[in-house]
Amino acid sequence: MLTYVVRRLFYAVLTFFGISIIVFVLIHIVPGDPVLFYVPMGGSGTISPAALQAIKHAHHLDEPLLAQYRWWLQGLLTLDLGTSITARRPVAELIGEKLPNSFQLNGIALLLAAAIGVPIGLWSAMRSGRLSERAAAVTFFLLYSLPSFWVALLLMQLFSVRYDILPLFGMRSEQYLQLSTGARIVDRLTHLVLPVVTLAYAQLAIFARFSKAAVTDVIRQDFITTARAKGVAPGSVLWRHAFRNALIPLITLLGLTIPYLISGSVIVEQIFQWDGIGRLYLESILKRDYPTVLGLTVVTAVVTLLASLAADLMYAVADPRIRLGGGRAT
Amino acid sequence: MWRITWRRFRRSRLAVGALIYVSLVTLLAAAAPLIANPARLVPYGPDDVDVAHRLLPPDPEHRLGTDDLGRDVLARMLHGARVSLTVGFLATAIALVIGSLLGAIAGYYGGAADWIVSRAIEVVLCFPFLFLNLGIVALFGPSLFTVMIALGLTSWTTNARFMRGEFLRLREMEFAQAARASGARDTRIMLRHLLPNALAPVLVSASFGVASAILTESALSFLGFGVPLPTATWGSLLNTAREYIQFAWWLALFPGVAIFLTVAAFNVIGDRFRDALDPRAE
Repeated sequence: MLTYVVRRLFYAVLTFFGISIIVFVLIHIVPGDPVLFYVPMGGSGTISPAALQAIKHAHHLDEPLLAQYRWWLQGLLTLDLGTSITARRPVAELIGEKLPNSFQLNGIALLLAAAIGVPIGLWSAMRSGRLSERAAAVTFFLLYSLPSFWVALLLMQLFSVRYDILPLFGMRSEQYLQLSTGARIVDRLTHLVLPVVTLAYAQLAIFARFSKAAVTDVIRQDFITTARAKGVAPGSVLWRHAFRNALIPLITLLGLTIPYLISGSVIVEQIFQWDGIGRLYLESILKRDYPTVLGLTVVTAVVTLLASLAADLMYAVADPRIRLGGGRAT
Repeated sequence: MWRITWRRFRRSRLAVGALIYVSLVTLLAAAAPLIANPARLVPYGPDDVDVAHRLLPPDPEHRLGTDDLGRDVLARMLHGARVSLTVGFLATAIALVIGSLLGAIAGYYGGAADWIVSRAIEVVLCFPFLFLNLGIVALFGPSLFTVMIALGLTSWTTNARFMRGEFLRLREMEFAQAARASGARDTRIMLRHLLPNALAPVLVSASFGVASAILTESALSFLGFGVPLPTATWGSLLNTAREYIQFAWWLALFPGVAIFLTVAAFNVIGDRFRDALDPRAE
């Protein structure tokens, strides 16, 4: 167990360096001098060479590339991601402000997708081959191919424009502050419905397929045949032998879905004008606010890294073959 | 082996339908300038502005309606298919070359090469896919070329994994050892002996890759970072639809259906192809 954890941590540190190098390279191949990241833009573009040199020196941009990388890495580790050109505030602060909004949206979507998708997957594995299961499989497969931005448009068209039962976009109504506590909760929930559905439906399909595959995999194995042969009741074979083993790979899936959710939130937050990191990212790109763009790139990559690390460690705790054997079989 | 796979593939009517659909769309896309042309079947060019007839619902003249500048939606969709399929196929080809090369080296040589490639895959997978693509396209300026390159550079990891796995398995097999014993060079063993045997699973992942590339391209265009206007793409048609969501339903419906059917078709083909290759299935 300990060797596994140490090795996994070591790889995570390596991956972190890889991420930091890629983003550092991106900073330097962006058109324009990186020093412009730090120039308080008035739009006039009149900055004296001496002042420019001073800024360069203050941010170590006059040093060799390797030294620059070291300074940049140090900033990263102390959560100093530079200053946003447009907001004129530290990028880390800006991200910290928007991150909870994204977590709220993504967290609910993830829980919903898992809570519905996993039982459907288990059910499909039991009914494998029957007509109802095959119909469900095709439906989920098609669901997975639906472009989320299109689904969002159709949902808005149907529920907000035609029937006017859900708000078109935003996180809360304009008169939110005048509402009573109960009405506030209802208001926030109604604003969540469409974005959460848009984020969750594709995840749902992934969860259903993945858990079905996991159970089917386990059912094929010898110990299930043994359990059946020695006369364990069929229901007990499924619940006690198959499902418990099949749930372990799902931990990995939880880690793997994080980057998909973050990607999806760019689209969903933009369409529904949800004030999260996805929208911040897109707006920063539009305004050519590179420090924010690159800061967000690093932060989302590190969040993904931490999620997959956590998933792997949880996997190790859940699976005695790794806990005791010191490594994963595959 | 290919003949058996094809026979098993053919058994699924859905997959055959998907294959026919994909061929049809490819043909239509290739022939778009011939079809959507003032003298032909769809008597409008994709950029023929006609403000007097803007935002018209579908009727016999404009079969799928017109957009905010009076351009024929069907004509724009036919031309949009060219962009979607070009990006889909070429980005996947780039990813296939990069992924296969790295995966083959990792699987065949093992050791340090394998270690480096595996770490590289881990790093790339950490970046949320759409973030990275948006970032690259924005930094280098949106164009058909940048979108293709960005997608190719970011989606090779699955191919690399499959290729690595296959090469790891194949290099130990007797025919590979025989080739090595008879003095064949590494490149020859890899290209002539291992690659043909490793191709099938990688082609499965390529089929899913085309689906994902088409989806991502249209997402980028939808967000305004794809192939720049006025070039018609399925995603940018939906971007226009967003502004007129209150009354012009046809703008949102048809391009979305086109994206959905095409992506679903490539996914169905990949799925069926995988099952047809798997001797354990059925």
